[in-house]
Amino acid sequence: MKKLLLTFFVVLCFAFVSFAAEILLEEPVIVTSAGQSPGALQFTVVAKMVSLDYKFDKLYKAEDVDMSQFKTFVIVVGASGKGLGAAGIDIEVEINRVLALAREAKDNGLKIVICNLEGASRRGESSDKIVTTLAPLASVYFVKSDANEDGFFTNLSEEAGVPMATFEMTVGLKDVLAQYFGK
Amino acid sequence: MKMKAIVVVLLVLATAALGSFFRPDVRPGYGVTGIGWLSDYFAPLKGTNMDTPIYFMDSGVEGPTFLLMGGTHGRELSGTTAALVFIENVVVTKGRVIVMPFSNISGVSIPDETGKALHFIQVETKSGPRFLVYGDRRTDPADQGIPDPMVFKHAQSGFTLEDGTEARNLNRQYPGVADGNPTQQLAYAIIEMIKAEKVDFNLDMHESGTPDKYIDERGNTRSGSSLAYTLVCHPDALEIGAVAIMEIEAFYGVSMKLEESNLGYRGLSHLEIRNATGSLSFLSETPNPGQDSWRKVYDVINDPDYPLKHRVGLQLQIIQSLFNAYEMLMGETVLVTGLPSYNETMENGLFIYLN
Repeated sequence: MKKLLLTFFVVLCFAFVSFAAEILLEEPVIVTSAGQSPGALQFTVVAKMVSLDYKFDKLYKAEDVDMSQFKTFVIVVGASGKGLGAAGIDIEVEINRVLALAREAKDNGLKIVICNLEGASRRGESSDKIVTTLAPLASVYFVKSDANEDGFFTNLSEEAGVPMATFEMTVGLKDVLAQYFGK
Repeated sequence: MKMKAIVVVLLVLATAALGSFFRPDVRPGYGVTGIGWLSDYFAPLKGTNMDTPIYFMDSGVEGPTFLLMGGTHGRELSGTTAALVFIENVVVTKGRVIVMPFSNISGVSIPDETGKALHFIQVETKSGPRFLVYGDRRTDPADQGIPDPMVFKHAQSGFTLEDGTEARNLNRQYPGVADGNPTQQLAYAIIEMIKAEKVDFNLDMHESGTPDKYIDERGNTRSGSSLAYTLVCHPDALEIGAVAIMEIEAFYGVSMKLEESNLGYRGLSHLEIRNATGSLSFLSETPNPGQDSWRKVYDVINDPDYPLKHRVGLQLQIIQSLFNAYEMLMGETVLVTGLPSYNETMENGLFIYLN
C-alpha cells in the first residue's frame, strides 16, 4: 500500500494541471454523483489522498440531508446506463434529485463544484444535459482535460464568470483539491 | 425443426463416440504447480467438450487466492492470450493464482461465426511457429445439444433477452444450473470451483469492439463501442477498480472507464460470482477490431491502432494493478514475478512471452 501511494505522489509531481485557485473552498464537503457513473467514488479515492473532510453518498436526497452542516457541495457528473440501472432510476429522476440538492446547497450558502472526473468517456447527451441544468448554480468547475476538447466547459465557465481547473489525469485532481482547499 | 434436432443429437453422439475434444496449445512455465480440470468440481462435465483445464500457481506462502479467466468468449483473443502469458511466465511468490485460459472451451473449439478471422492464427514465438485460437462467442451448438430458445431467460431471475442464442453465452448463465443445459452446467461448475478453492478475487478478461467512430450504410456517423477500455466491477469491488485504473492511467498512459455491475442485468460474471461466492469480481474489456461489425477487413494481431500486444499488455497490466489496488484496500495481496508490464509488452513485443 505504501509503495503504491508513494508512486502516486511521485507521479503527481509531474502531473500537468492547469488552474489558478481563484476562490478558496472550505470543508466539510458533501459529495454525490450526478448520473451514477463511478466517477464520484473515484473522487473520494483522490479526496482521501489529501485527507479531505467529506461525506459521500451517490444517492443523497435533498430531504435527507442537512446542508447547513457543510461548506462545499461537489457534484461529480457522469451518466452511466449501468449505474442508473443499478439504482433503478432514469436520467430525469436523477437530474431532479441532484438539482434539488444543489438548490438546497445554494440556499445554505455552500459553494458548488461541478466535476467531470472521467473525461471524454462521460461526455454525451445525458451527461451534458446534467451539466447545463446545474450550470447556473456552479461556483467552480473541476474538469479532466479531454472532456473539454470542444470547449464545452470553458464556455460555461466564461459565460457564468466562474473559475475552472483542469487536469490531465484522474489522479491529477489531487493537486486541484490541494490548491482549492488549501491543503 | 425435427430434422435439425436429429442432426444435433447425431453430432453429439458422434463427438462422444470419437472422444476427441478440443485441447488448445498451452506450454506451462515453472510457476505452474498443478494442473486440474473443471470437472474435478462438477463431474458431469468430464468427458465432454465443456470440460476445461485449470492451472494452479501456488507460492506456498499464505495469502489471497486470485482467479484469472480467459476465453469466456472464444473470439476475445487478448483474454486467452494474456492467460497464456501468465501461465507461461509468471511465478507466484505470495498467495495463489488459478488460471482458466479457455473458460468456454466449446466456444473456442469452433471458428468465429462472423467468419472473417482464421480459427487458428499462426504467430512466431521464441520456440518457432505457434497457433493462437480465435473461436466463437458462444458454445458450439453441437455441444449444447438442444436448439436455441426463441427468447433467452436467465434461470434464477427470469431476466430475458430477445436473442435466444444467448442461451449458449457463458456470460449470461451465472450462477449456473446443476441439471441445466451444458452452458448452464459450465457456469455452475465454475461457481463450484470458486467456492471450493475459496477464491478471494477474480478477473474475467474480455474484448469489445473498438471505440472508433464509423459511417453506417445510410451515411450517418456512428459511435464506436462504449465498452472498449472498460473495467466493470461488482459494487463491492468498485473502489479497488478505481484505484487500479488510476494507476494504469498515471503510469502507463492508458485511460480506462470504470463501470459498476448493473444489478438488473443478470447472469454476468462480475455480478453473479460475487453474489454467489463472495469473491470480489472484475471484468475487463480491450478493443478488438475483429469485433467491429462495420469493418469489412481487419487484422486481429497487427492492427495499427489496436495491435494484440497493446490489448494483451493492457490485460496483463490490469492484473498487476488489481493486485496493487487489492493490497492498498484489503491489506495484503498476491505477489508475483515475471509478469510483463504494459510498457514491457509494448517495447518487447508480445510473442517473446509465449513459450
